Amino acid sequence: MELSAYAQGGWRLLGDPRYFPRRSYASLLRAAFRGLLDHPHAGLDDPDLKDIDPTVLKHCHAAAATCILEAGKQKADISAISTCLEDCKLDKERIEQFCTEYQKNKDALEILLGSIGRSPLHITDVSWRLEYQIKSNQLHKAYQPSYLVTLNVENSDSGSHPDVRFSCTMEQLQDLIGKLKDAAKSLERATQM
Amino acid sequence: SVTGKLNVGVDTVQHGVEGLAYLLTESSKLMISETDFQDSIQVLGFSDDLNKQLLQLYLENRKEIRSILGELAPKLPSYHSLEWRLDVQLASRSLRQQIKPAVTLKLHLHQDDDQTAQVLQTDPSTLLHLIQQLEQALGEMKTNHCRRIVRNMK
Repeated sequence: MELSAYAQGGWRLLGDPRYFPRRSYASLLRAAFRGLLDHPHAGLDDPDLKDIDPTVLKHCHAAAATCILEAGKQKADISAISTCLEDCKLDKERIEQFCTEYQKNKDALEILLGSIGRSPLHITDVSWRLEYQIKSNQLHKAYQPSYLVTLNVENSDSGSHPDVRFSCTMEQLQDLIGKLKDAAKSLERATQM
Repeated sequence: SVTGKLNVGVDTVQHGVEGLAYLLTESSKLMISETDFQDSIQVLGFSDDLNKQLLQLYLENRKEIRSILGELAPKLPSYHSLEWRLDVQLASRSLRQQIKPAVTLKLHLHQDDDQTAQVLQTDPSTLLHLIQQLEQALGEMKTNHCRRIVRNMK
């Protein structure tokens, strides 16, 4: 796992007790993780960080975030992360602190990174309505059942998206269900391989 | 041509065709019985033979006319067919070493005269949920409630 020169520079500062005493180091790590996983502006207003020069703070926060994301992206193991931080002259204790914090947040990080990217509209749910058509102004005594199916979909970028709606007869619904069941059966077979 | 064979003016032929079309369309729309149809055209004062032919024309074409009229009602896009595909995402720019199964669907719909195709995706558990929900929907028509209503409406 490799970090850019800029990030390495930030980590060297993070490893230096003159810039980051123990408590400040721990606070910054927490802020970096929270900032990525919860709120973009989280944590930098921690009292343990207020005495640090803002430029240094910004550099180190960026360095920490870069390391977290790179480790997450590569699915790096502890030894790879440790080696990387050793190269930035961090002592064992600080490396361990980072690795512990990383382990705690690893799953959430993986979910976050996995959700970034383009994909087709994602179906999240379906609702349906069954109606019995009696008449229209064009046709009286129509008497036939009709289903109105709504697929709730989500866009990977913006989140919401207008639903996909369509009507179908009983036969068409049967066809749709049949095809979905074929897909499910194939899935089951694939997972058994 | 028709006007030549019948020896009447264009206008007359047009009125005749329109009148006939109206008669057949209205009768089909209302799904009127044979008796009602015969009673209705009685007032036109045609010969018995002609009345019989008109009745025949109505009965033979009723189903098709109704099917066409049914297409005229306000409609939503309707289902045409579905294609599906199983995918496994292995990596992306932001995350390597993934095993993420996905089901990609292509939903074909009819809207008026157009056909549209929409590409959608879902995950395995949502797929099973969709199947379960839609099977429930299909089952509804077979419940006592729905059967009773269908029986009583005819």
